[in-house]
Amino acid sequence: MDGLVIQLQRQLVDYSTSLYKEGFLDDQFKQLQQLQDESNPDFVVEVVCLFFEDSERLLSELSKTLSQQNVDFKKVDAHVHQLKGSSSSIGAQRVQRVCIAFRNYCEEQNNEGCLKSLQLVKHEFSLVKTKLEAMFKLEKQVLAAGGSIPMH
Amino acid sequence: MKSTKSPSVSFRFPPSSIRAMGLLLRGFLNKLFGSANFCRRNRSPCCRRTFNRDVEAEEFHDASTLCLSSYYSVFVVRLAIMVMLAILIGMLTLLTWHFTRIYTRSSLNTLAYGLRFELLQRPLLRMWNILNSTVEITTAQVKLSEYVIRKYSRPVNQAQQVELYEVMRDVTWALFASRRALNAITINYRNGFVQAFHRDHRSNNTYYIYSDLVNYSISESFHTDMLSSRQGWNDQSIHSNTSAIWYREPLDPATGEKIGKARAIPPDQLINIAGISQVPDGAASWHVAVSKYTDSPLLSAALPVWDSSNESIVAVVGVTTALYSVGQLMKELVEFHSGHIYLTSQEGWLLATSTNTPLLMNSTSGPKLMMAVDSEDYVIRSGAEWLQKEYGSKFPSNHEVHIENARLGHQLYYIDSFFLNLKRLPMVGAIILPRKYVMGKVDERAVKTLVVLISASVCILVVGCICIFVLTNGVSKEMKLRAELISHLDARRKAEASSNYKSQFLANMSHELRTPMAAVIGLLDILICDDCLTNEQYANVTQIRKCSTALLRLLNNILDLSKVESGKLVLEETEFDLGRELEGLVDMFSVQCINHNVEIILDLSDDMPKLVQGDSGRVVQIFANLISNSIKFTTSGHIILRGWCENPNPVISTSKSSISPKNSWPAQKMKLKLHGSHQKRSLKKENKMVLRFEVDDTGCGIETSKWESVFESFEQADPSTTRLHGGTGLGLCIVRTLVNKMGGEIKVVKKNGPGTLMQLYLNLSTPADIDGAGKYCQFKFEEHKLTMLLASNGRMGRLIMAQWLQKNGVYTYEASEWNELTQTLQELFRARYVHSPQTEFSETDEMNTQGISISAVIIIIDIGLLDLSTDIWKEQLSYLDNHCCRAKFAWILNHDTSNTVKAELRRRGHLLMVNRPLYKAKIIQILEAVMKDRSLELQRYATALRSTAVEENLSECHEIDALHSCVASSDDSDKSEQDDTSFISRFCSPETRNDHYVKASSFQNGTPNGHCVELAQVNSEENVCNMKNTGPTRLNEQHSIFTCPKERDTACTRTFMREQNSLEGLRILLAEDTPVLQRVATIMLEKLGAQVVAVGDGLQAVDALKFVFHSNELMNECPSEDHDNSEIIHSKALSLLPYDLILMDCQMPKMDGYEATKAIRKSEIGTGFHIPIVALTAHAMSCDEAKCLEVGMDAYLTKPIDRQLMVSTILSLTNRTVA
Repeated sequence: MDGLVIQLQRQLVDYSTSLYKEGFLDDQFKQLQQLQDESNPDFVVEVVCLFFEDSERLLSELSKTLSQQNVDFKKVDAHVHQLKGSSSSIGAQRVQRVCIAFRNYCEEQNNEGCLKSLQLVKHEFSLVKTKLEAMFKLEKQVLAAGGSIPMH
Repeated sequence: MKSTKSPSVSFRFPPSSIRAMGLLLRGFLNKLFGSANFCRRNRSPCCRRTFNRDVEAEEFHDASTLCLSSYYSVFVVRLAIMVMLAILIGMLTLLTWHFTRIYTRSSLNTLAYGLRFELLQRPLLRMWNILNSTVEITTAQVKLSEYVIRKYSRPVNQAQQVELYEVMRDVTWALFASRRALNAITINYRNGFVQAFHRDHRSNNTYYIYSDLVNYSISESFHTDMLSSRQGWNDQSIHSNTSAIWYREPLDPATGEKIGKARAIPPDQLINIAGISQVPDGAASWHVAVSKYTDSPLLSAALPVWDSSNESIVAVVGVTTALYSVGQLMKELVEFHSGHIYLTSQEGWLLATSTNTPLLMNSTSGPKLMMAVDSEDYVIRSGAEWLQKEYGSKFPSNHEVHIENARLGHQLYYIDSFFLNLKRLPMVGAIILPRKYVMGKVDERAVKTLVVLISASVCILVVGCICIFVLTNGVSKEMKLRAELISHLDARRKAEASSNYKSQFLANMSHELRTPMAAVIGLLDILICDDCLTNEQYANVTQIRKCSTALLRLLNNILDLSKVESGKLVLEETEFDLGRELEGLVDMFSVQCINHNVEIILDLSDDMPKLVQGDSGRVVQIFANLISNSIKFTTSGHIILRGWCENPNPVISTSKSSISPKNSWPAQKMKLKLHGSHQKRSLKKENKMVLRFEVDDTGCGIETSKWESVFESFEQADPSTTRLHGGTGLGLCIVRTLVNKMGGEIKVVKKNGPGTLMQLYLNLSTPADIDGAGKYCQFKFEEHKLTMLLASNGRMGRLIMAQWLQKNGVYTYEASEWNELTQTLQELFRARYVHSPQTEFSETDEMNTQGISISAVIIIIDIGLLDLSTDIWKEQLSYLDNHCCRAKFAWILNHDTSNTVKAELRRRGHLLMVNRPLYKAKIIQILEAVMKDRSLELQRYATALRSTAVEENLSECHEIDALHSCVASSDDSDKSEQDDTSFISRFCSPETRNDHYVKASSFQNGTPNGHCVELAQVNSEENVCNMKNTGPTRLNEQHSIFTCPKERDTACTRTFMREQNSLEGLRILLAEDTPVLQRVATIMLEKLGAQVVAVGDGLQAVDALKFVFHSNELMNECPSEDHDNSEIIHSKALSLLPYDLILMDCQMPKMDGYEATKAIRKSEIGTGFHIPIVALTAHAMSCDEAKCLEVGMDAYLTKPIDRQLMVSTILSLTNRTVA
């Protein structure tokens, strides 16, 4: 039993370290984890889920806005800004970076670039989403096995 | 650079091709003017070819193309001007030469022709004269002969015949004698008898020659013969006469007397006379003869003498004249002209020349005439030859020839010939004049003129070309310079642009750079908070934390610099307590100084204004940079930060002194005396004042030559300092820019002794409306009669402090080490005991009346004086305890003083403890505490039974820090003075003041001063006991927050909060649209103990606040009966205010942060409330900050949220507005 927990824990640690190494996450995420305690046991998951929902909403809004005849770049910019803010808050830095590029295209009013960036953002978002979901799944497994989630 | 190269390229062509190139270029230039595009296209490759070698030339390409084209145009113009000049000068030269030559020559030619004509005419005339005279003589002789012969015609006998001959001889002699020029006169009779007179001009002899008369007969037959056949008469008779004997007798040339014997001479010696045969037709005949007696040809004329009937010739008269005189004349004529004249017969026989050469040729048959071409004279011969060659036999009919330049030998001659048509003797005269004589000067001059003209024109051409070159060179130089200037301007513009980009980039990067750093530091803090770290890990993490802070500081420095450079640095204008800021700074650095064994001293003069307006953060930054710089280079000794006020506005100070007597404090002249030499600056603006500061250290100093350059960016006095001390060299640069921005100046000043002395002055304004803005120090020393013993091992600090105290009327003793201290103590108390033995504590009645007037002894001891390494310090303390009752002890602690020592001190009743360093505010704080303590004691003795302490109040006040009490009392002295004693008696018992002095120094910075004033006020009124429950806790929290809120950049590494609940009890409204951020921030704040209400946009935030103001308005409506009531209402209202603070995101849907803030501020108008609003923004530019502050926000946080900063910001804001 213990061996399983330890193995799972190690797996989790390795996985999250790889997430940091590959640049999906940054220190902000660690801060989030710091904030999680007994009073808010599912804080990270909650926030990340919020992020997912929010981002999906924003992304669909963005696709809609960009598919229109006359693109309202101000609106796009505001959306991207929000996306950037929320992604930076949870530490999804790859999304954040793409957002920065996205905003530059917005300022240039470059439709093509925006569309390309949207694809990139979507891609990055789905990546980080799957990664994070996988991590949470691991965490759940650890918890189910009776271990605690190791802090780093 | 490139422009200088192009000429060399063009001049590299061989000189011969330059002209061709010039032509080419001219054509090229025409095209160039035709179309600029063409030029560009055409030139670029050529330039490229030229500059191919230089890679770097690319960027100068345009400029150089321009330059090159301009150079070419200059070159072509130059060439064109030169060519034109050359043509002009050449034409001028030619014309001048031509005209001078042609006109002179033609006129001279005319003259020369006249001369020649004249010259030739005269010998011809002479010739003519000779001929004429010869003819005349001949005719005369003929007439005489006729007359004589007629008279003796028909001679009948020999005697008659002889008589005839005698007469004839006399007649002929007369004629001959009268004409001396005649050579001979001959009369040839028909019968063959010859009579002749001959004159030899050379020997000047005159002869009479006659033939023998024997053979002659006077026969008539002869006469008929002659008539019948004239031929027979002719030569035969002469020939027949050849047998005759000729006689010659010399005569006296004058008289004709016979002077010698007649001698027979051979007939061939007879002069050739004209015979009868020569006058066959009876007309005069001429011919040229030669004689052996003369070397010149002779001209002879013959005329027949007719008989009376005119039918037959009886005799022939011949006259011979030598042509010698003609030659003589010619010689005379041409000698002057060095020319030659000769006369020839038509056949070419030479008759006369102007030379002495013989005219006759000696041949076997006697002398003969010679041809002109055979003349011995070279000139004549060659002239004749030339004529013959030119014309041969085809002379013009009149024989007149004029040749102007016949080359004879090496010289040019004029040759002219004239024809003289005499009957039977046509003659040709020729004159040969050397051209040199007539035209010599002209020709010579012409050549000379030509040479002179050519050389002059060449000179002019050269000079002109040089002039043109020089002039155009100036132009081309100017062009070159202009091109260079253009390229420089271009380069400068580029450089400026890039520098601008750099600043822009840095400024824009600020967010990106600071965020990760903040994250790193924040995470490190969290890590440090973690309890499960081993010591080693902890040390490492602390080290990382330090390094990160250093990096952040560097980053901030660079950002500051770039901000200033990009013109984005905006200075705040807020009131702040300068003294307190500096004290905080010194406190902070003193930690570092202790490690360096350096004493740091703050020495602010008493006339410094308490409150000034300006950017406190920047002011602190200035001094932080200066002091940290000093610390870096000072290994031992001290660092003094001096400050004084140069010219406090006279109007204000006088008005103040008249209004409040407490300000008429004796001015501290010391500083003014010390620095009296400084230049006074009068400021026109009323509230501006010049604050002067000095940072004086005893470090390694700066070389005089580097005094200016240390303020340049990235400049360090000694390159090795980077190695030794690190640093970027940005600090002083920032300092200078900041000082300049505040209207001041900074410079390094010469100082005595080692180290550096930096002087600066700042131009800050003081708030005019605050009356208390006057003086920094307002403690009334003199009322208390204090004696102070300063025992500290920091020499400089002690000295300065002692001086200051002495000035203020405090008796000050000094001690630098333990032994000295004990000694001083003994002396001191011995003296005092004598003075007032045992009065203080034994007799309470006396105390009441006299106690205050008796001087108090305060002993300030540096903890460093105790020997802490061993246990001796406890004994030392015990020794001091002996004096405990007579004096008040205050301790100066080090930062690292262990708790055991502190506890021991506290146990022994030494409650006054301050941290290093000691400065005036701390002294005042100590003094006031002592005084209060004393009065408290007095009170306690006096009213021992009357009252007991109010416990709950005491417990509440337990944390009030001493400084704020004193600030309160000094700020509101009018009020607190009157109830000073009561106030103190109630709140300050020794038991409750346990440790707040220890902490005093650590939190004096962060706490706004108004708070405790309020507290004191509330408490003194006694009826309001329900202080807001937040008050004490907030104070409590401040222990953990050492960092001054305005001093964000200089983060203190040590005292980081470990407490999680620093925001306990605060209610915070969070306006944030992004759910993720909202959630994160909420949790963050909640974990810190705050109550958070989150709203999604600005509109909701405004709504959430609306009802509050509404209720407040209701409150305000109810009439306030008295002061107390209004106080209650106020505090209630405060408690009703639902939020202590709003965190406002700037970018939100519906209503953004700026709008929401404006709306809230608008609704606040009239209510007297000010809810702090903190902006949250993802932009980190100062312009955003400015915008936030402009709309009414109080502070500014950047995303992602830095916990530390957020907490300190929130605390500073909530504390201030509690009041």
